[in-house]
Amino acid sequence: MKTLVVTPLPVILGVLLLLSPACSRKAVQSGGDTRALQEEMARGGAKGGTSSSFPDTSLSGKDETSSLRGFDRNPLEERLGGGGHNGNGTVTPGNTLMAKSDPGGAARQLAEIRAEQTASTAAGLRDVFFTYDSFSITDEGRHALTSDAEWIKSNPLVQLKIEGHCDERGTSAYNLVLGEKRAKAVRNYLVELGVVPQHLSVVSYGKERPFCTEHGEHCYSMNRRGHLVVKVGK
Amino acid sequence: MTLRTLVIAGFCAMVGLVWIIESGAADVFLEAARPDFQKIPLAIAGIENLGGAESPEGRVKLGSRIEEVLKTDVRRSLVFALVDVNGLGIKAGQLGAEPDPSFKHAVENGVSVVVWGRAGIKSGNKDSDVNMDGYVYDAGNNEVVGGKRYVGSTSVVRLMAHRFADELVFRYTGEPGIARTKIAYVSELGSARELFVMDYDGYDPRQLTADGFLNLMPRWSPDRRFLVFTTYRNRNTQDIDLLELANGKRWTLVSQGGLNITPALSPDGNFLAYSSSSEGNAELYRMDTHTKAVQRLTTNAGGDLSPSWAPSGRELAFTSDRSGGPQVFLISADGSNVRRLTFEGDYNAAPAWSPRGNWIAYVCRTPRKEYKLCLITPDGQKRVQLTTGPGVDDSPSWSPDGRHIVFSSTADGKSHIYMINTDGKDLERITFTGTHNSAPTWSPAS
Repeated sequence: MKTLVVTPLPVILGVLLLLSPACSRKAVQSGGDTRALQEEMARGGAKGGTSSSFPDTSLSGKDETSSLRGFDRNPLEERLGGGGHNGNGTVTPGNTLMAKSDPGGAARQLAEIRAEQTASTAAGLRDVFFTYDSFSITDEGRHALTSDAEWIKSNPLVQLKIEGHCDERGTSAYNLVLGEKRAKAVRNYLVELGVVPQHLSVVSYGKERPFCTEHGEHCYSMNRRGHLVVKVGK
Repeated sequence: MTLRTLVIAGFCAMVGLVWIIESGAADVFLEAARPDFQKIPLAIAGIENLGGAESPEGRVKLGSRIEEVLKTDVRRSLVFALVDVNGLGIKAGQLGAEPDPSFKHAVENGVSVVVWGRAGIKSGNKDSDVNMDGYVYDAGNNEVVGGKRYVGSTSVVRLMAHRFADELVFRYTGEPGIARTKIAYVSELGSARELFVMDYDGYDPRQLTADGFLNLMPRWSPDRRFLVFTTYRNRNTQDIDLLELANGKRWTLVSQGGLNITPALSPDGNFLAYSSSSEGNAELYRMDTHTKAVQRLTTNAGGDLSPSWAPSGRELAFTSDRSGGPQVFLISADGSNVRRLTFEGDYNAAPAWSPRGNWIAYVCRTPRKEYKLCLITPDGQKRVQLTTGPGVDDSPSWSPDGRHIVFSSTADGKSHIYMINTDGKDLERITFTGTHNSAPTWSPAS
């Protein structure tokens, strides 16, 4: 019988919580100073582009221009903008969203990736493969790294990058951690073999740059990899 | 004897009532999961086509297009039950701004709200403005409670429907609705992965970055103006960048060696939580976005990543492999009070705290080694598996109303983006083009 007294409280609390957004939303509706927002956005834009200062991400800059206005018996005309055709008096967000980039960036990336591949193939570097969920170096991996270490030691001017890769199973985020563990396991073994650590860097690509895109163990085993690359560019 | 029977019967009824109330209280926020949740019966009588207006695609009439979008929005709101207007005797073309005699019959058949409207282009000119009028009749008041008049170019006809749907949800729940929300995601372009944003229903995708390499795991700022994400500079190092959607402007927030992944802005936007391995293995950090002061939250030999803020901003859920395989943990926002949340299975990751605070969605590996979505309460008392079947499910993200989850899955072969209700119903695929769409993240409501 004790529960009888207790039970209504969560219900009441729940109802209150459910209703509370209504109150705050209504309060917010009467606000919405478009001009202040635009000025702030202009300021944010003017100082943008550097890592030394970045814009206010707190809710103080919240865009209220798109607030709902409720139904009206004699509704006023609401002009909707966005969709890449911003007209005057736009009242919705949907601000034009555009890809902005360094136009030569993608081409430069591609050229450098090709150069890295060519240099790595010419060096005859061998990759290391891992079992499911694991980042320990197998016997086969040790053999590969032994020959890699010899090449690296006889080419002391080369900077090497060790990429950690994973198969498509598991989450994107955790595979980045797993990929880093694999890359670091490879680096640590190379250092054990006498490679100078300053010549090695690691980067994890998780499951985002697979060598093989089919579903199945054949591809999965190809993608669980420590990939050795001769660094080109920065 | 009869008195005792009566007392027993009364007691049983009381216990029954208590049980009903209690089960209701436990689920009070997960309304959509309740079979007895009373949706409001709503009939869309039709959006009449005016003046033979043509949509940009031609042929399909503007009114019909708006009506179709409106119906989908209303259905997905999970606030209304769409009533079939056939047989109710309502003729949209004859409706004005006053209640129609035909509504009486509809109300007798259980309809609470009737919606209708008209749409057309002002002149015959293709570039002219589209006009849409919409009206709402409420059976409780027995009157037309109001309407909306929208005007805009042909490119915003879907937005007219979305906005009208959100006004309906707003009127009947006090919440803004999700029809105008957006989903940011990652899509493959060649061998690169770039950021995109689309409407919540998968329409109008727009490319945000064109770096030619990897951009991963975007998250929204609470004011919807920015995305934070991981970007690879020169392929060799990871930074955490901030991108302003309106103009593509970018700022670098975190630039250190090692992994710098899974950024997440706090609900008030004042803090950025992220994972970085710059001091060894992946640990959680918290940056004050005003002072840029960085505080380390975790210290242990395992990898800590994927922080997701509780709506209160006082706690975070995150992934950690400190106890072997990845598991979901909770931590206070100051780094204290770390405790493990998931114990079932040997792989639980990518937690997403619901906007109502009562559930955490995450990726759980089943005994059959399938990666599916699970839900767990923050006290760990209740756990349910949300998705089943083949394919790797990843990156759950909640709709701002807490009634849907968007996620990526390889269920159909290539990775695409799907939406599901929190009760496991209405699984819908929302991307159909591209070779790899992943890491969806649902915007806050506006």
